[in-house]
Amino acid sequence: MANNPNQQMQRPPMERQVLPQHAQERIQRMRGAQGQRFFTSDLSVKEFLLVRESGFECAGLVMGSSIYHVGYQRGNYYENMEMTVLTQALYQARELAMARMEEEASELGADGVIGVRLKVNRHTWGDDLLEFVAIGTAVYARDGGAALAAAQAPQPGRSPWRAPNGTPFTSDLSGQDFWMLLKSGYRPVSLVMGNCVYHVAHQTLGGWFKTVGNNVEMTNFTQGLYDARELAMERMQAEAQMDGAGGVVGTQITETSHGWDAHVIEFFAVGTSVLPIAIAAQPPIPQLVMTVNE
Amino acid sequence: MAFTSDLTIDEVLLIEEVGFEPVDLVLGSSYFHIGWQYSSWSANEELTQISAMMLDARHTAMARMMEQTIAAKADGVLGLRLEIEREGHNAEFTAIGTAVRRRKGDGVQWRRPRGEPFSCDLSGADFWALVRGGFRPMGLSCGVCVYHVAHQGLAGWFKTVGNNVEMPTFTQALYEARELAMGRMQAEAWALGGTAGLVGVTVEEGSHGWDSHVIEYSALGTAIVPIGDPAHEVHESPTVVLVAQDWEPPPAGAPAVAAKPAAT
Repeated sequence: MANNPNQQMQRPPMERQVLPQHAQERIQRMRGAQGQRFFTSDLSVKEFLLVRESGFECAGLVMGSSIYHVGYQRGNYYENMEMTVLTQALYQARELAMARMEEEASELGADGVIGVRLKVNRHTWGDDLLEFVAIGTAVYARDGGAALAAAQAPQPGRSPWRAPNGTPFTSDLSGQDFWMLLKSGYRPVSLVMGNCVYHVAHQTLGGWFKTVGNNVEMTNFTQGLYDARELAMERMQAEAQMDGAGGVVGTQITETSHGWDAHVIEFFAVGTSVLPIAIAAQPPIPQLVMTVNE
Repeated sequence: MAFTSDLTIDEVLLIEEVGFEPVDLVLGSSYFHIGWQYSSWSANEELTQISAMMLDARHTAMARMMEQTIAAKADGVLGLRLEIEREGHNAEFTAIGTAVRRRKGDGVQWRRPRGEPFSCDLSGADFWALVRGGFRPMGLSCGVCVYHVAHQGLAGWFKTVGNNVEMPTFTQALYEARELAMGRMQAEAWALGGTAGLVGVTVEEGSHGWDSHVIEYSALGTAIVPIGDPAHEVHESPTVVLVAQDWEPPPAGAPAVAAKPAAT
């Protein structure tokens, strides 16, 4: 079984990503080459207003992408196994896209990125190529983090809103969720993820004969998919712990077959790791309303 | 005066709450032949003529809609939608929205710096929220980039087959194409006078019947400016509400939040 806790995903080294020329030009204009800051954002109007209400300003739409050639691995026909080559490829490519998005946010002088979406595209012109895109809205605290810095141990030289490792925080929370999270006394740390590409064993003919016509659990299949999901979640959790976070909110687990053999599935767990803010906040109590909208 | 609009009842109420009234449903369209431009088999490059054409087609449709808006003596357009319908190598670009007018007659202050009506793709509820938040829309800005992605040589194919590697040329090509589209949208927003920023940006990729190596990126968003009049800076802190109905996902395009008009 591939359930070995020591076999953690390796994050690519935190090297500075080199941004394309047009990205740098666009960021320069958003930073205020024309005299004042100018933002772009894919937040809706309501999200935009809630972000301002939380004491933040939009810095700009940031993006990172990576087109990756995914290697080849043969799964043993009758075996439940993790396809480590594919797992690594999909993880590394997402990390690359995320790192570039974070670099764009850093260049903008932002404290973090909210509403991050991770997309996987396939293009007809590349069979084994997958394109990974990370896109979100970079934000910065209007007071430069003074309120938060006063509430916690000072970390000189950088904004207190950034993640413990100094990079801008990242999160897939919407503007509404971001506002709620801060109101409840937590702050986002980073978008954490874990994945596992798994090959589910084919059933043997003997096995088929034994089960045909009976009500039985297919323990083999159950265990295979169970393991794969647990591995993806465990890796996501390990990432959050490595970042020094206190927990993960809004986790989503998806399963996709990126155009592979039907027996090969990727389980992908993604969520936002959070840390409590030292200021004791009283979470708002909801008020019961009845909408008259349809 | 009678009006036509595709706004819902609560949208009409909300825009009236901020001093506007619907005037007419306005529409503009343009019919273009999507041409062809030679590109080198093994080069990453922008197809500049096609980019310009795809942008021009959208601008023409929007400009015709604007003429109708001006003829209706309206001050702006809400809920602007751009639709593309393709038949073979021809495509029809349609811009449609609801023209609105300031009731007090001070609509000139809400128009663009050169006196044209404003435009935005916001719903009535979003427009209400934006105005209450102290901003007003200037115009729907768009940026387009049609890009040809290089074909990979055989030698390149041999190097990568069976390995996990990033494909830097492809990555760079699409990265640049997206950045170009977003950069152009930004420049247009600035030119329209939307100097605060852009909200609700979408970046879409499309292939309009071209070779599979040719991709169009189009970026679209509403440029906004601060109102400056303190009367509009009604910053009510939102309250958390628990909706009494059983929850069900809102239909696509519907306002996600039940907007509460300010207490009078």
